[in-house]
Amino acid sequence: MRLLAATTRYYLLLTALLFVVGSLGLYYGINWALRNEIDEQLQSRRQELVEKARAEELPPVELLQTLLPVSRQRRPEGFRDTTMLDKIEHEMVPHRLLTFPLTVSGDGTVWVTLRKSLVEAEDLMGVVLGVMLGVLALLLGGVVLINRWLSHRIWAPFRGTLATLRAYDLQQHKVLELPTPAVSEFAELNQALTVLSQRLVADYESLREFTANAAHETQTPLAIMQAQLEQLLQVPALAEDPAAAPLVADLYGATLRLSRLHQALSLLSKIENRQFAEAVPIRLDQLLTEKMAQLEPLFEARELRYGLDISGPVVVYMHPGLADSLLQNLLQNAVKHNVRGGELAVSLSPQELKISNTGPAVSGDPARFFERFRKQNAASESPGLGLSIVQQIGGYYGFGVRYSVAEGGTRHTLRVRLKAQAVPAPKKSKPSFAATE
Amino acid sequence: MKLLLVEDEAALRTALLSSLKQAGYIVESAIDFAQAQEKILLYQYDCVLLDLTLPDGSGLDLLRILKASGSPAGVLIITARDALDDKITGLDLGADDYLIKPFHLSELNARLRAIIRRRQFQGQQQLVFRDLLVLPDLAEVHVRGELLTLTRKEYDLLLYLLANPGRVLTKEAIAEHLCGDAVDAADSFDFIYTHLKNLRKKLQEKGADNYIRTMYGVGYKLSTE
Repeated sequence: MRLLAATTRYYLLLTALLFVVGSLGLYYGINWALRNEIDEQLQSRRQELVEKARAEELPPVELLQTLLPVSRQRRPEGFRDTTMLDKIEHEMVPHRLLTFPLTVSGDGTVWVTLRKSLVEAEDLMGVVLGVMLGVLALLLGGVVLINRWLSHRIWAPFRGTLATLRAYDLQQHKVLELPTPAVSEFAELNQALTVLSQRLVADYESLREFTANAAHETQTPLAIMQAQLEQLLQVPALAEDPAAAPLVADLYGATLRLSRLHQALSLLSKIENRQFAEAVPIRLDQLLTEKMAQLEPLFEARELRYGLDISGPVVVYMHPGLADSLLQNLLQNAVKHNVRGGELAVSLSPQELKISNTGPAVSGDPARFFERFRKQNAASESPGLGLSIVQQIGGYYGFGVRYSVAEGGTRHTLRVRLKAQAVPAPKKSKPSFAATE
Repeated sequence: MKLLLVEDEAALRTALLSSLKQAGYIVESAIDFAQAQEKILLYQYDCVLLDLTLPDGSGLDLLRILKASGSPAGVLIITARDALDDKITGLDLGADDYLIKPFHLSELNARLRAIIRRRQFQGQQQLVFRDLLVLPDLAEVHVRGELLTLTRKEYDLLLYLLANPGRVLTKEAIAEHLCGDAVDAADSFDFIYTHLKNLRKKLQEKGADNYIRTMYGVGYKLSTE
């Protein structure tokens, strides 16, 4: 619900309530005041008559009867409401009656009934109420209109701030630049946001540096270990020793695993920290063909029947390293969880990359396959980060990654929904990333 | 063959130096930017192995100086994994190849071989090892004058072995060389075994016996005798 709608709703509620209470109060108040006024008028006429009677200025009863409704019989005294036929307008009209005894000298006591029509009072009340309600209705409409106008005018800086925040990208390492509006609340908001973004940029920077430093510092000892162990394997005495050589080889293998784990983790954290800003057009079809060719010996070793189906050039905007990692992990995953003599089908279209492989039936929630350090086989030497990396890269570029299983749980399919772009005009070729010979 | 190794990490430098010397290179080393700059400007090298992160400067600047001085030396960049953009800049600046730390020393030998071959002989080259004659430009291998027909992967494997004669090559290093970076060690090494078996058989058929020795639990070695 928009703020305007929310406040207007409360305004309307309150105004409607006041409207009802006010109308009722006004109606009864005016009614009461008018009746009071009429009663007073009747009373003063009675007073007049009584005084005239006392001063013996009244005409005899016969004459009085033509002027006033007079009765010889006893009548209930006091005020009464009644309706009477108006002889001019020919309709029943409410009247106020006052009956009292009057002693006319010489003629004894008679009961006089004074009456006054309430029609004028009701007309007056109608006019007053109408005006009041009209004013209230105008006020109500005015409140709604002024709110709408205010929300356009006063909230403009807020909407400006919101637009700036939406467009804000931490990766640009820029502090938010917000204006200082005249409304102090918004000025405070903008100031607080600016301070927040300064802190964010600083934290992001230090985190980046930390990740880079930590990765670098770990990499160096690993590189030393690996190089020294490889040199140790060259020592003739050791290489010939059937007991020692496999030990060193195991150490060497473990160092490699550690360094792979380290690479995978620092890749994950770099993706999470969004440290891959640079996206360039990547010919995914070419890269995929290259990767498939590279992994061919692996397919052959597992006696896999494999097929690659590319519907045409596919260009995506990605960081070259991440594109490489995405394909590498997907293909490796499909080989790793395959069976000897199984199948591997890869198809690529501008909309989707689909990798489908045979494999043993797996148990458990498919969503959990993407968890870190998740292994199908606990004894596996692989750290189980492949699919996490796939998912992270997918999330980073807004590619949906879906897993599905068919044929009684033995055919596993991973689909990556791509956001492919049109093929750009050929540019000058970049240096190849696989500069091996 | 004279090389310059620019590497600031002492232990890594030592390992690299001894491996390169074993491979028959004359190697000089520089431990920082200043020393490397001096050597580059004073002497001629066939190839420079360049670490990009140095305590007192960037390896990329060394590369610029080297290229500006018109040196014919080949350049192999050694870089940390997370510095992918530096790698691209390096290749743009005219480096021949790159290796990402940590790497296999045997892979380094293979890459160096390729660079030096490309740089020095301008295509007029052949590689002789015992009874083998390899013509890299034609991708042909002859055993005692007879042509040996190899698959692409077998040929790659043989070249890799020839770049590291007498050296123990681990299964992991061979697997990474054949299948590219980041092949999972957990995946079977069956495919190396298959390819090596086929290669051996083909060599044997032409009378080149016992060239490839299996080092139990470790890997393989191209025997020099």
